[in-house]
Amino acid sequence: MRDEETGTWWQQVSGKAIHGPLEGHQLKAVFHDEISFAIWKREQPQGRVLKPDEKIAARDQYEAADWETRVGRMRVVEGTDVDQRLAPRTLVMGIAAGGKSIAYPLAALQKQSPIIDMVGTTPIVVVLGDDKRSVRAFERIVDGKRLEFFQKPDKNAEVQLIDAESGSTWNFEGTAIAGPLAGRQLKKLFVLEDYWFDWRLYHPDTAVYEIGPR
Amino acid sequence: MPNVLTRLSNWTNARRKRVWLTLFLLILVVLVIVLTPVFLIMPFKAQTPRTMEMSYLMRRWSPWLTLMASLLVLTLTVGLWLGGRWWSRIVLVILLIPTLGATWLARQNHFEWMFNPLPNPAYVKTADASFVSDDDRVLAVTIGGESVAYPIRLMGYHHLVGDTVGGTPLVATY
Repeated sequence: MRDEETGTWWQQVSGKAIHGPLEGHQLKAVFHDEISFAIWKREQPQGRVLKPDEKIAARDQYEAADWETRVGRMRVVEGTDVDQRLAPRTLVMGIAAGGKSIAYPLAALQKQSPIIDMVGTTPIVVVLGDDKRSVRAFERIVDGKRLEFFQKPDKNAEVQLIDAESGSTWNFEGTAIAGPLAGRQLKKLFVLEDYWFDWRLYHPDTAVYEIGPR
Repeated sequence: MPNVLTRLSNWTNARRKRVWLTLFLLILVVLVIVLTPVFLIMPFKAQTPRTMEMSYLMRRWSPWLTLMASLLVLTLTVGLWLGGRWWSRIVLVILLIPTLGATWLARQNHFEWMFNPLPNPAYVKTADASFVSDDDRVLAVTIGGESVAYPIRLMGYHHLVGDTVGGTPLVATY
């Protein structure tokens, strides 16, 4: 993206100025989620939603409802020396902390959630939403203690986690809603939803999560 | 001025041929320098660091080079026009089209034609957002108690939306 004031080019994924008068500067990342509208409106009923431009909507130029399927089929041009641990358009949930990074294929999370893991020295928990599509990650530490989570076995309701240490119940926002830790909030970690061919470019040393044998 | 015009119209045939050749070469150079980056930076095509470097070098210099070339082409055209036959004058006019077109294109970023920003973004309350369905994905931001959702189907067209959320100026990008 290019700013109108100086004409500097900024890399979208990182917010880094890569060419032009402001080269070397870095925009501060604002924490954000990439989730289904169903989950968002349940959590943020008082929020506001960007409205379509009427002219563009009338010309039918916005992405169609099935854009994800279509983009998933688009070809990828790649060299022969690239990291081929996953197919180029595998959808991964990328998490980076302390210089380390792990790519969690969405398909793995759809089979196993939550995932209790470490990114470098950061203990994390990765959770799939009840839409079976949205993913969030949290640092699983409260008062200096590491927590381990499992999911409350209710397939049709909202996702609820229980921590093994205190037995408290946690929601998809990382907030404890019942039990001894009620009211506590886990630190949210940024999850970059990306295709494998893109993620590996920015994180050449990334690990790839694999579901182990049971 | 009349002196210059007389001198130009008194070009010998050999000289006129050399000027025609120069004119063609100039136009060829202008087209190559402007169109090569367009082809090399095309998406969904293999690119190498070398071809990218070359493309951006051409793009950096082309606004200036095409301007100089256009002035030269115009001067030569005037020379060939005076003392030229009607058919050569038609050719001269036709040759001006690619020259001026390329000079204009060198000042454009054709990728920015495809991605239209939203100059005056508008918002609705969550309950009124009937244009978003439950399965649609949104980019969601909450700052200082204010929450905003940017539907990805809209962001996939605009790519950039400027906003202020909870007092923080930000750009949402996809």
